[in-house]
Amino acid sequence: MKKYRLLLLLWLPLAINAQKVEFEEYDLNNGMHVILHQDNAAPVVVTSVMYHVGAKDEQPNRTGMAHFFEHLLFEGTKNIKKGEWFKIVSSNGGKNNANTTDDRTYYYEIFPSNKLELGLWMESERLLHPIIGQKGVDTQNEVVKEEKRLRIDNQPYSRFLENVKKHLFKKHPYKGTTIGKMEHLDNATLNDFLAFNKKFYIPNNATLVVAGDINIANTKKMISDYFEEIPKGKEIKRNFSKEAPITQQINAKAYDPNIQIPAIIAAYRTPSMKTRDSRVLDMISTYLSSGKSSVLYKKLVDTKKIALQAGAINLSQEDYGTYVLYGLPLGDTKLDTLVKEIDQEIQKIQTELISEKAHQKLQNKFENRFVNANTSVEGIANSLARYHVLFGDTNLINTEINIYRSITREDIRNVAKKYLNPNQRLILEYLPEKK
Amino acid sequence: MRTQIILLLAIITMSFTVNAQIDRSVMPKPGPAPKVKLGKAKRFGLKNGITVIMVENHKLPRVSARLSIDNPPVFEEDIAGISDVMGSLLGRGTSNISKDNFNEKVDYLGARINFSSHGAFASSLTKYFPEVLQLMADGIKNATFTKEEFDKEIKIILDGIKAGEKNIDNIANRVENALTYGKKHPFGEFASKESILKITLEDVKSFYKNYYKPNNAYLIIEGDIDTKKTKKLVTTLFSTWKKGTIPTQNIVTPTNVQNTQINFIDMPNAVQSKIAVINNINLTLKDKDYYAVLLANQILGGGGTARLFQNLREDKAYTYGAYSKVTQNRHAATFKATASVRNMVTDSAVVELMKEITKIRYKKVSAEELTNAKEKYIGNFVMNVQKPKTAANYALNIAKYGLPDNFYANYINNINAVTINDVQDAAIKYFKGNKARIVITGKGIEVLKNLEKTDYNITYFNTKGNSTTKPEMSFPIPKETTAKSVINKYLKAIGGKDKVLQIKTLKSTATATVQETPLVMTVKKAAPNKSLQEISVMGQIFQKSVFNGKTGYSELRGQRKPMPATDLKLEQSKQYIIDDLNYTSGEVLRIEAVNGQKTIVIGYNKSEIYYNMESGLKIKSVTTTKTPDGKDVKVPTIFSNYKKVNGILFPHTIDIKSGPIDLKFKVQEIKINEGVFTTDFE
Repeated sequence: MKKYRLLLLLWLPLAINAQKVEFEEYDLNNGMHVILHQDNAAPVVVTSVMYHVGAKDEQPNRTGMAHFFEHLLFEGTKNIKKGEWFKIVSSNGGKNNANTTDDRTYYYEIFPSNKLELGLWMESERLLHPIIGQKGVDTQNEVVKEEKRLRIDNQPYSRFLENVKKHLFKKHPYKGTTIGKMEHLDNATLNDFLAFNKKFYIPNNATLVVAGDINIANTKKMISDYFEEIPKGKEIKRNFSKEAPITQQINAKAYDPNIQIPAIIAAYRTPSMKTRDSRVLDMISTYLSSGKSSVLYKKLVDTKKIALQAGAINLSQEDYGTYVLYGLPLGDTKLDTLVKEIDQEIQKIQTELISEKAHQKLQNKFENRFVNANTSVEGIANSLARYHVLFGDTNLINTEINIYRSITREDIRNVAKKYLNPNQRLILEYLPEKK
Repeated sequence: MRTQIILLLAIITMSFTVNAQIDRSVMPKPGPAPKVKLGKAKRFGLKNGITVIMVENHKLPRVSARLSIDNPPVFEEDIAGISDVMGSLLGRGTSNISKDNFNEKVDYLGARINFSSHGAFASSLTKYFPEVLQLMADGIKNATFTKEEFDKEIKIILDGIKAGEKNIDNIANRVENALTYGKKHPFGEFASKESILKITLEDVKSFYKNYYKPNNAYLIIEGDIDTKKTKKLVTTLFSTWKKGTIPTQNIVTPTNVQNTQINFIDMPNAVQSKIAVINNINLTLKDKDYYAVLLANQILGGGGTARLFQNLREDKAYTYGAYSKVTQNRHAATFKATASVRNMVTDSAVVELMKEITKIRYKKVSAEELTNAKEKYIGNFVMNVQKPKTAANYALNIAKYGLPDNFYANYINNINAVTINDVQDAAIKYFKGNKARIVITGKGIEVLKNLEKTDYNITYFNTKGNSTTKPEMSFPIPKETTAKSVINKYLKAIGGKDKVLQIKTLKSTATATVQETPLVMTVKKAAPNKSLQEISVMGQIFQKSVFNGKTGYSELRGQRKPMPATDLKLEQSKQYIIDDLNYTSGEVLRIEAVNGQKTIVIGYNKSEIYYNMESGLKIKSVTTTKTPDGKDVKVPTIFSNYKKVNGILFPHTIDIKSGPIDLKFKVQEIKINEGVFTTDFE
């Protein structure tokens, strides 16, 4: 066994070198951050912009604005007519999309590499002078409502996160949903949207990533041509309310008309994804529920046969995390029984060290995850932007694995003790709505 | 002079920089087209029938292996679901290793191994790959099936079926397939509770023995490999997998309907209708017009720029997305156009979907549309062609479909060769707007009335894909139902009329919070019609209304006003302490479904009161009142959480919604025949 470890140690540095993501980063005069990553293996280029604005930046009576805005910014610009955006991308053999979370909004195009300039032009147009008009607002209002019906109202188990966050967060905007309240969107005026644009869609709140089959010098010149002229905006001040610690178990129920089998959820409020503790919680959720030999699967689903599904999710976000343990009962199993069984495992983690073998297994899993994280240029572009915007350290794309490597069995025990206690959590019974 | 020259030079350079500035109003031109290099794959065969495809790529230290067993589809009939049951039991132990040790090993190596009824997949870091491939091969060749695992899996599958019964996507998919291919076709059948319960452990074993064989298998290995060593490894591990005789079946060819029709599946919980326009086609990769139909579909519904999306989403905002898809298949291919739309616009969306399908059949597409569609395909091809996964897939398709080796080398030329006429021919041939099923899964009571106004005949199917009758749209009022009979049923349900009539006084206290402020509501009543209602905030009486049998008043923050004449009249007319007894003089208005349960609605004065038809209990009332500025508003009150007090059921949760305010009262205490005094009503 000792020999085997030594061998592993010899192997590790090689594996890291084999996949280091090289990149270059700098700021334009207007404060826009630029990250370049060259990979000439395939004739593909990604142009993407991540804006540091998400659902948490919304006014409390205008929820859903950030996501709605993502839709609006495809409506056209001074030089790109309404309805032309998708056509330009597609007729140039490219793909594009965007997405919004509570913390940031991300837009990207993927083109054959000879269309790099086109991608830069489009993203600079979007930032410099988008056309935000009433007609676009009206159309996208309906489209967003359809998106909500499709992805949430018509889907089973789709309201659980909403219900978890509602109880875990009382002051911080994470208490709401990214899609927001439809009545807020209905009440939003054109001026609200224009103000939102002026406040958040500014170069000093944006990170541009160009990744793929590029020539660095030419790319820098093009970026300067298209983006330098965009005026800098007013500095954004963020001051989110802090949550008071949860000191007593919260008990709640939620109902879903699209399900037949209930679920039980134990949810804990945890620290920001930037903290080491959040990564330790990542490891704990992997220990509990990733793979068939993981603790919860093996115990609840495989051996005791009392759950249809069981697992742990560490939803880590910029300001806080939400740590969710869940189970779907099999047959006549009571929800309480699942909670008790899950609690037992948590208590074990809190009182005993996990075995050395289990710890090594976790390390192997995270190493595998690290190798597989950067397989496509699209994925690399997204990670580069995310590490810069949300973590403030682009190089985490290469070094985050070191944090995981340094996590000890003691860390796992201590973090479980610190955050995963019954008096710090919500117990949510997620039940079928009687029709 | 010299300075002037310098100045001139400076001016020239300046103007030069101005000229060099980009012109934003013009879309940038593309650079020279990148060279297309097809990825390389190596291929070899084993005697037992396996074709092995290897693609070498050293960018990352990882390898994956994919097994694909390309048997013709199997009609499972009365034991539908057998292939899935068998597939899910693979990897739970072999004749060499127990399930727990197998799982532990895989997880320890940080690897992944999955099995399915028609293949398997494994991936790991390069350094662990030989060990992982060996585990995968063992799972494939030497699977064991135990009673314990079988029983557990059946239980899980049954719960899974139950879990999916209200899932609209799930129901829509299975009924669409059942209708498109027929339930006698492998693609149209689906597992049910009955078919799963019929499956035995022996069935599983024999399915494995008959079908999980190397005869028609492909093994694709991709990643950080040395092809020589890998060939050796694969040969060692997989040569011993024994060939078998795979049973053959005669499968009926699916047919299209004679005339386009709507097939409706009622899902009372749907907030959107899922619409799918479907017809069967014959199409495989080998067909000459394959490229023409790809482009025709791209123009019709291939994404955000296509006609369906532009029309139904960007123009009309009916949906988050509308798309069409042609699926090539050697056994049964299909064309499908889909959109999920809000209930209200279901009929309009059908009309628009059909309009676009008809239009692309009868009107030639524009040259610009065709060029744009070609560019999209070529661009995607160029971007993907060098990826190892693409190289592996291309090699697999060439082997599977017996395509010429230069099939993908000619791809761009073949796309470019398609003409406007080819597109129209393909649209007429494959998009059968005149012989299509329009399968709609949605909430009948909200969408059918309008759908009936379209040109299509509507037939109805249940969630199992069997023919059924039209769902009830409005419900006839049963004969001999009167306000009196409804109230009598209610009285019986809460404990009996005798007991109710013994109530002389009633006192109830309930609490609620509004904007984090706690409210207390106290109601006192005395027979026959004296009443007092008080709402207090932190011990202060905020609002009060009193009726002493003859006159009454209301008080708001201490300001007293006499009761208006109309209200007074109503209060005077009441003869019973329990409101419902008064409603016997109301009228039965209608039967209405509330949250999927039928209720009888009684109209009494300015209120409508809803009684559950089955339980008899009152679940809701809606009272129309006037706002201070004279507008009519409806105030719904929902009654739930019935609990017994002195043998009589009272609702203990009373939820009153008034505009944006939602008052959820929890009843804390109800007292019968105690705690009420005549002075209370002064």
